[in-house]
Amino acid sequence: MVVMALMRTVEQMAEGDTAEFAVASASELELVRRWCEKTGNTLVSTLMAEQDTGHVTVGRGRPRNPGSMIPADRMPGARLWLYTNFHCNLACDYCCVASSPKTDPRLLGIDTIQALVTEAADWGVRELYLTGGEPFLLPDIDVIVRACADRLPTTLLTNGMLFRGHGLRKLQAMPRQGFALQISVDSPTAEVHDSHRGAGSWERALAGIRVALDEGFTVRVAATISAHDDPALDELHALFDGLGIPRADQVIRPIAHQGVAEEGVAFTRESLIPEVTVTADGIYWHPVAALDENALVSRQILPLAPALDRVSELFTQQWSSATATTSMFACA
Amino acid sequence: MSKLVGAPLLIGAVAYTPNVVPIWEGIREYFDEPETAMDFVLFSNYGRLVDALQAGMIDIAWNTNLAYARAVLQTDGHVRPLAMRDTDATFSTVFVAAAGSGWSGPGDIATRRLVLGSADSAHAAILPLHYLREAGVDVDHLHIQRFNSDIGKHGDTGRSELDAIDAVLAGDADVAAIGITVWENIGRGDLMPGMLEPVWQTETYSHCMFTALDTLPESVYAPWVSKLLAMDWEVPAHRRILELEGLTRWVEPHLEGYNGLFAAIKEQGVDARW
Repeated sequence: MVVMALMRTVEQMAEGDTAEFAVASASELELVRRWCEKTGNTLVSTLMAEQDTGHVTVGRGRPRNPGSMIPADRMPGARLWLYTNFHCNLACDYCCVASSPKTDPRLLGIDTIQALVTEAADWGVRELYLTGGEPFLLPDIDVIVRACADRLPTTLLTNGMLFRGHGLRKLQAMPRQGFALQISVDSPTAEVHDSHRGAGSWERALAGIRVALDEGFTVRVAATISAHDDPALDELHALFDGLGIPRADQVIRPIAHQGVAEEGVAFTRESLIPEVTVTADGIYWHPVAALDENALVSRQILPLAPALDRVSELFTQQWSSATATTSMFACA
Repeated sequence: MSKLVGAPLLIGAVAYTPNVVPIWEGIREYFDEPETAMDFVLFSNYGRLVDALQAGMIDIAWNTNLAYARAVLQTDGHVRPLAMRDTDATFSTVFVAAAGSGWSGPGDIATRRLVLGSADSAHAAILPLHYLREAGVDVDHLHIQRFNSDIGKHGDTGRSELDAIDAVLAGDADVAAIGITVWENIGRGDLMPGMLEPVWQTETYSHCMFTALDTLPESVYAPWVSKLLAMDWEVPAHRRILELEGLTRWVEPHLEGYNGLFAAIKEQGVDARW
């Protein structure tokens, strides 16, 4: 009678919703499979106990092709994130990887990065994102950037505060083509930004943006917004507009409840469309979860391709059962 | 009435399952071009839908066969049928009994306890009696049980047909009249092995129909119908909509398939409104 139960329940469910049904034998399980195929629904999972009894989860409708819902440049494997280091000149109170001047640097190193980038390009990765920590604390960041940008379009995330002295010379040595800087500015005035990131940091970030623009770099800006602060989005956009940053290059995102953040949007691996992330500690599902053991894909960094394959495979599996709750979290 | 210049075509439909929303959102997206832009309004029952069509609140109604017939009867025929699903052109009713009955044909149904679906379901209540009468069965003296489980929705939910099947399986009735869609969805009995068998199947008839009033200008409906007929099963984005709506392609109206229903409405004194 499982088919009658399916007919009564599944036909009245919204597309993407799931329901659980008891099956009393292997032949009933086969009937469920055949009914799903015939009626355009999805057998999401089976949990069979001994003697062929158990439960099945059936979803309304067919699993939607992720390619029809996710832009090609956001599909798993399109982006590769590299945490070049974890130490930072700031100690932001919401940092998703708990970076600060005291944090163990945990460097990836140029040799590993070169190997990763070569493999990534061969696998089909389309874009690289370098982040930390503050990458401009690395004496060879210009070399790292060039090694990346020579192979794939590259974006470097920075607080923009170190474009002086050696930092400025390293910046000036970076390529203008196929490379962009993403600089963090959280509010239209200094108060909110500085309350999270430290006194004077807003002024220096703004100064850094102007230096980078004057040097001819493509500059994107990213604001991390706390639920407790007035987002003042109109003023924030006006500030960025005034700097000459196109709207498409103005990223605004909530705080992620990770690292040292005491608030923010909570994620699980299953709720995030993956953006494969490599740190000195391993390969992770997404850059906002680069300290999260539940988001660890592999402790082994090289070779990279098996991890990219594994993430794509896991995402395909989870897509059919969790489409309704899987979302993008825009770090860039 | 005529559509306001520049306004999207407004289609009315009945919300009989939550999936009606994604279906129509998908259809609206498909038509999102200057000549065919449309929006939709969902009603709770077909009576209100037909009222709204006549009142000019909507341009086109996605009608069941009974709603189409009522629109025709209430307007003295001043409607314009536009298109239907391929599955609407070959609909039929199947009479099923418990496996092993050995019954076959209308003669065997005449002496059994017949269970019907909702009284406003053309395929599970009205047409079964019509075709049995045409086949010589004295339907006025049939032992009939009814499940009026979804009145107002013309049997769209399928619930009354499942209730009828359950009655047969429980031994409370001998024969159930169900639509071909439900019969197909249980694999013509194969997905309920050893439980049901067909006794008789009616001739094919027409089911749902996109219906406008005959005052809707051709320049308004023609581009929309043309694009509707161009929906392609081989295109994944189209297929999702087609599969949820239960068809493989849209087709021109098959009006001869409504003759049985118009006759049944007259024979059975079915109310022109509901």
